[in-house]
Amino acid sequence: MTWNIQKWLQTILISWSNFTTYRLNFFLQVIGPGLVFFFIKYNLWSAIYGGNNTIVLGGYTFRSMIQYHGWSMIVLLLCQGMTANNLSEDIRMGRISNYLIYPMNFWEFHTAAFIAFEFLQLFICAVTIGLIGFTSLLGPIHFEVLINAFCYCIFVSIFWFAIQYLTGIIAFWLEETWTLRVIFSIISGFLSGAIIPLELFPTKLVEVLSYTPFPYLTYYPVKMFMGEVGFFPKGYLILGVWLAVIIIINKIVWRKGIKMYTAAGM
Amino acid sequence: MIKTSLLTKNFQSYKKAPGISGSIKSLFKREYLTKTAVDQFTLEVTKGEIIGLLGPNGAGKTTLMKMFTGIIVPSSGEISIAGHVPSQREKSFRKKIALVMGQKSQLWWDIPAMDSFHLLQKFYEIDKKAFENRLEEMGQLLGVMDLLHIHVRKLSLGERMKLELMASLLHSPEVIFLDEPTIGLDLIAQENIRKFIFEYHKKNNISIILTSHYMADVHALCKRLILIHGGQKAFDGKLSTFEQILGKDKSVSFSFRNEVNDHRVFEQFNPTWSENKTQVDLLIPESELRNFSAQVLRDFPVIDFSTDKMPIEKVMKTLMKNPQILNENL
Repeated sequence: MTWNIQKWLQTILISWSNFTTYRLNFFLQVIGPGLVFFFIKYNLWSAIYGGNNTIVLGGYTFRSMIQYHGWSMIVLLLCQGMTANNLSEDIRMGRISNYLIYPMNFWEFHTAAFIAFEFLQLFICAVTIGLIGFTSLLGPIHFEVLINAFCYCIFVSIFWFAIQYLTGIIAFWLEETWTLRVIFSIISGFLSGAIIPLELFPTKLVEVLSYTPFPYLTYYPVKMFMGEVGFFPKGYLILGVWLAVIIIINKIVWRKGIKMYTAAGM
Repeated sequence: MIKTSLLTKNFQSYKKAPGISGSIKSLFKREYLTKTAVDQFTLEVTKGEIIGLLGPNGAGKTTLMKMFTGIIVPSSGEISIAGHVPSQREKSFRKKIALVMGQKSQLWWDIPAMDSFHLLQKFYEIDKKAFENRLEEMGQLLGVMDLLHIHVRKLSLGERMKLELMASLLHSPEVIFLDEPTIGLDLIAQENIRKFIFEYHKKNNISIILTSHYMADVHALCKRLILIHGGQKAFDGKLSTFEQILGKDKSVSFSFRNEVNDHRVFEQFNPTWSENKTQVDLLIPESELRNFSAQVLRDFPVIDFSTDKMPIEKVMKTLMKNPQILNENL
C-alpha cells in the first residue's frame, strides 16, 4: 500500500474515533436537524391538506407528499450532514498551523474526515430506512432503486462538502462563517425542493433552476428514491460542472487566504 | 542550516473606536494601521547549534518562528531553512522540521496519544520498525510509556507536554523550533523537559531554536543567544558575553543576623539595602570578590551569603526595563 493511501486510511480511522467520542452528541447532531425539519414539514402539509386524502396538489396526494418529505429527510441526512464549523474554527483559532506543518494538507485532512463521516452517515441512513421502511411512510422500497439513489446522493454530498469547505475557508476574511452557511442552507432548502416540491413552482422558475445546482440537491435524489427517476446522467453532469467551479474557487480562495493568514492565537 | 536576510513581516490591522458607534463607523470607513512585527532580521545558524531567542512579549519571537516554519509568509527578505524556502511548504521541507508550541496542543484532544502517533507515522512516512524504535527510545527517556493509551484531554499539562515533544520528534527532524516548551510547567517538569532536550540534542546533533521566558531553559540549553526587541535583533552572541553586558562585576548578596548601622565599607560597591537593613546586594569586581567577602564574613554577623547564579536573568530584567543599555554597551 502506498504511503498516500495509508495516510488517508489512518485519517479516516482517526476521524471515526473523533466523531464517536461523544456518541450521543454525534447522533443528535446528525439525526436531530433532519428529524425536526421533517416534523415541521409534516405539520405544515397536514394543515394544508386538512387530512383530506383526495386533494391532489401538483400531482401529490397527502400520502405521496409525506413520502416525498420522508425521502427528503434521508437525502438531507446523506448529503448535508457534514458541517464545516470545525473547519472555520481551525482557521479562526489558528489551529490550521498544525496542518501547514504536517506533510498532510488541510484539504486532504478534512476530505478524509468527510469520507469517514459519509461512511457513518450511510450506515445511519441504512438503519433509518430499515426502521421507517416497516411503516408505509416511505412507500415501497426496491433494492436497485436504493443503490441508484445512494450512489447519486454520495455525489451530491461531495458537492455539499465542497460548498461547506468554501464557506469554511472564508474564515480567512470573515470571523463568523456560520451565518453564510445558514443563508445558503435556507436558500437551497427552498430552491432545491426540500420544503415545497418543484412541481408546485412556476414553470419558468423551474426552467431557470435547472441550470443551477439546486434541484439536483434534493428534488431529483428524492425522485430517485421514490423510483420516479432512474439513472440520471444530467444530474451528474450539471452538478459535476458546478462542483468543478466550486473546487476552482476553493483553490483560489485558499491561495489568497493563506497569504494573509496570521496564525493569530498561536 | 538556517539563514535569513533582512527578513521583515508587516501586519495590517484597523483601528476601531469603542462602542456601537465605533463599530458602525468601522463598517464604512476603516483606518488601517501597519505594524512591523519583524524588521530586517538577519540570522545564520549552523547545524547542531541551539539558539535561544529571547525578548519581551510582542517583540516578534513567535512571528519569526511562524516564518521559519512556513506558517506565515514574510513581507520581504529572504529565508532558507535546510535548503528550502519555508513559505513554499514543500512536503520534503515539512518532513525536515518540527515545531513545538508550549501554549498550543498539536495532539488530537479526544483520542489517546498513541492514535495521534500512528497518524503522524503515516503523515511522515516513517517506516514501522523505525517508528517503534523511536517510540520506545523516547518513551523510556521521558518516562511516558504508560501514558500512551490515555485520552490526551485527561493528562496533566506536564504529561501532555512530554507527549507533544515526542510527537514532534517522531520523524527525526533536522531543525526543531521550540516555542516556550516549558511554559506553565512546575519546576520538576521543566527540568525533565530541559534534560530531555539536552540529551536528545547531544545524541542527534540537530539545530534547535528555542524561545522561552524562563532563563533557566536558556541557561541550561543554549550557548548562543539572540535578543529581539521591537522586531529587531538587539543582541547576537555567546551566553557568556550576554551575561557581562552590565559589566563584569559579580552580584553578591549578604544577609545579617542584626541590623547593620555602619554602611561605610559597602559604599564602594553600589549597595542596595533591604528596608530593615539586614540584607544588602552588591556589585563587586571579580578581582576584589575574595578579599572583600572574607572581610565582611569576619567583621559582620553574616548568616547567609550568595553570588548570583544566573546573571542572565538579571541582565534580561534590566534590559527589558531599559533597552537603551544595549546601544550603550555594544
